[in-house]
Amino acid sequence: MRMNRRRFLQRTCAGSAVLSSGGLVPLPLLASALRSQAERILVVVELQGGNDGLNTVIPTDDPLYRRLRPTLAVPSAEVLSIADGMGFHPALQGFADLLQAGQLAVVQQVGYPQPNRSHFESMDIWHTCLRKEQQRPDGWLGRWAERVQAVGGDIAAMHLGGEKQPFALMSRSLRVPSIRSLEEFRLRGTEDSEFRTAVQELADEQREKEDDLLGFVASSTSAALTASDRLAGAAKAGQTSVVWPQSGFAERLRTVSQLIRSGLQTRVYYVTLGGFDTHAQQPDAHRGLLRQLSEGISALLAELQTSGDLQRTTVLAFSEFGRRVQENASAGTDHGTAGPMFLAGGSVRAGLHGQRPDLNNLQDGDLQFSTDFREVYATVLERWLKVDSADILYDRFQPLDIFSV
Amino acid sequence: MATELTAEELWQPFEPDVDGPWDLSAAAHLFRRAGFGANRQQLEAAVRQSPQQVVDELLDVPEPAEFHSQMQTLATAAISGGNVEPLSAWWVYRILGTPRQLLEKTVLFWHGHFATGADKVTEPQLMLTQNQLLRRLAFAGFGDLVQQISKDPAMLLYLDSASNRKAHPNENYARELMELFCLGEGQYTEQDIRELARCFTGWEVRRGEYRFNRFQHDTGSRAFLGTSGEFSGEQAVDVVLRQPQTAQFIVSKMLRFFVMDEPVDVVALTAPLARQFRDSGLQIRPLLRTILTSRLFFSRRSVGRRIKSPVELALGLLRCLEGTTNTVGLAKSLQQLGQGLLYPPSVKGWDGGRTWINSSTLLGRSNLMRQLITDPNTRFGRQSLPDYLSAHDLKEPAEMLAELQLLLFAAPIPQRARDSILSLMKPRSEAALAEGLHALCTLPEFQLC
Repeated sequence: MRMNRRRFLQRTCAGSAVLSSGGLVPLPLLASALRSQAERILVVVELQGGNDGLNTVIPTDDPLYRRLRPTLAVPSAEVLSIADGMGFHPALQGFADLLQAGQLAVVQQVGYPQPNRSHFESMDIWHTCLRKEQQRPDGWLGRWAERVQAVGGDIAAMHLGGEKQPFALMSRSLRVPSIRSLEEFRLRGTEDSEFRTAVQELADEQREKEDDLLGFVASSTSAALTASDRLAGAAKAGQTSVVWPQSGFAERLRTVSQLIRSGLQTRVYYVTLGGFDTHAQQPDAHRGLLRQLSEGISALLAELQTSGDLQRTTVLAFSEFGRRVQENASAGTDHGTAGPMFLAGGSVRAGLHGQRPDLNNLQDGDLQFSTDFREVYATVLERWLKVDSADILYDRFQPLDIFSV
Repeated sequence: MATELTAEELWQPFEPDVDGPWDLSAAAHLFRRAGFGANRQQLEAAVRQSPQQVVDELLDVPEPAEFHSQMQTLATAAISGGNVEPLSAWWVYRILGTPRQLLEKTVLFWHGHFATGADKVTEPQLMLTQNQLLRRLAFAGFGDLVQQISKDPAMLLYLDSASNRKAHPNENYARELMELFCLGEGQYTEQDIRELARCFTGWEVRRGEYRFNRFQHDTGSRAFLGTSGEFSGEQAVDVVLRQPQTAQFIVSKMLRFFVMDEPVDVVALTAPLARQFRDSGLQIRPLLRTILTSRLFFSRRSVGRRIKSPVELALGLLRCLEGTTNTVGLAKSLQQLGQGLLYPPSVKGWDGGRTWINSSTLLGRSNLMRQLITDPNTRFGRQSLPDYLSAHDLKEPAEMLAELQLLLFAAPIPQRARDSILSLMKPRSEAALAEGLHALCTLPEFQLC
């Protein structure tokens, strides 16, 4: 199916983004600056439910760790040692290998002031960089996408998964698409060209301006049809020898790898892995989740290494909070505060960054953060995606030295 | 008109002819919101009554005994295999067949409110027990509902209160009771949560039933939400319910579910409603009556101002056209679209509104409509689509389109869309009519209700 340029412009959201973003940088300059960056890619991995950071990146030598976690502490002999008395949970063998290969950076003790222990509120804070007292119409990646979306280009960001779209990707002027699998992203009935034409016309039809909700649905329908066409091509990208683990999470990362390899100009991909809310019977559940995380990301990087896309890709993994230091009576842990973030790819400075968790200095039984998550976002925006971060994060944060390029 | 009325006046009863016509189209709106949708016969019967009579009937007339017992039998069969999926299909079947749509719609509201997921509570009997609890108390007192849900085994397991011991209180239920069930985020402190959690220590599940274990119950004094004492769990729930925010919180959520996705100035708009709810001792039935018979409900600020949830989308199409289908397949499709019954995404339930819409779900919605329309298991009034339409004396595509507009749409179909759909339907074959109906169901207007 070919479409003319007028229709294409009508149907992509790019036009409206250009008019409404009001970014600080003149758009033509911004667009050319971005092209020269050889389309660096960011894959965001959201760990939902509050990952127990202390049992992920473990202060093995700290006696307080073992005292406060009498049943949950991972035995020293099983911990995969990193450095300075720190080590990985044994399910993170893949991460240990990536660290060895110089492809994994860990930022310890990431959080924010006056931590909120509600899943939803804390996640919203990470997604929007705003507190609930403030108006929160969009997320940090949505704001980024508005600024970089080029006319006629592919959509800047994409969410892979069937769950509701992460707040981080919400934008006031752009519709970031969500897809579950390439296969599914095809409108049935479109073999019939008459039907296809009719459907396009239905979506493109001008609607009454006053009806906001209808306008939103109509522009979303147009965006869906556009993305559907582009992804049809990506599905044709070939197989490689990389063995992918069997999990829904790995499947979504695999789809990301197909999209990256197909040369799609999308810059940010977003996937989630849920189940980290381990209030009870934590050990088995947590082990399984960490293995999925580590194996999935390892496979993604291996795939991108094969295709030569590793240097231009960074994976960023975070969770809305860590967990209470002291274990509870249900062999689990309750909502806590700071935790580690992970950056993986061919261009990171591998190793541990930030301060190690200080169990002697807890506040209300919780760890205190030493790196603000917005410093990490600022690093990714400034040093990786090469945009000014201040108006995206609503404040000026000093980037960290995490990238080697 | 509606914009000039005060909040007080907006919740006064809708007066036909003064506030607008009480016609087939208004009745269709009422059924889409107070249920999932009505067919022509039901609409014609409704306009012979007053809107208040229709709402009273929806609220007060119990389910026919025969339907009730048939559903009990099917439920027993559904849970006999030991997994929850058939029970999800059972609920779809129940929504499709019930003569008391408002009850199921309200149970769906409470399911989203007291969200409990079968991904964690894998025992179907417990999910059924909770579903029946919500149905039994759907129109009753909110206080009663919260007290009973607090001891519901599925809820206890879902929020880990079943392992809530004296020495280490588990804070999950205490937090969600305040954040999601009664007060809203930020209406309490972290300290309130820790203290409230102590009141629920010793609440356990044994052999699928609630049990109070006094040996694990912390009997000390606790202070939360500005009060203190040696509260039992029941008394602690009452303390939460007595907070003035409770009425406001529930009423605002009902406003979004039954009236409009994006209200402006919610607190002022719902103040009279919250006052009524508080004064009635948090009685749900009169609250629903006020909402569904109000001038606001029948105004332009309400009609077409909600985005259909996947359940409303699919079951609405079927209910309006007397459709039946393979409910096992449909239950699974609804799950893929993000609204699996008994499978809410988290304890927060479904956010609704614009969050239903993204590229993936829009294509998924359209594909589900096609699948439903073309599935040989789908029958309309026990017939094929063309036979059903001609049994209703609809011969010409234009007549069919007018009828479908009335039954299925809250917003007018744009002229150009009308023309292309008429041309799709022109051959009048089964395939052509299905194609036309699918195109209609892909329209942005169809996503609204």
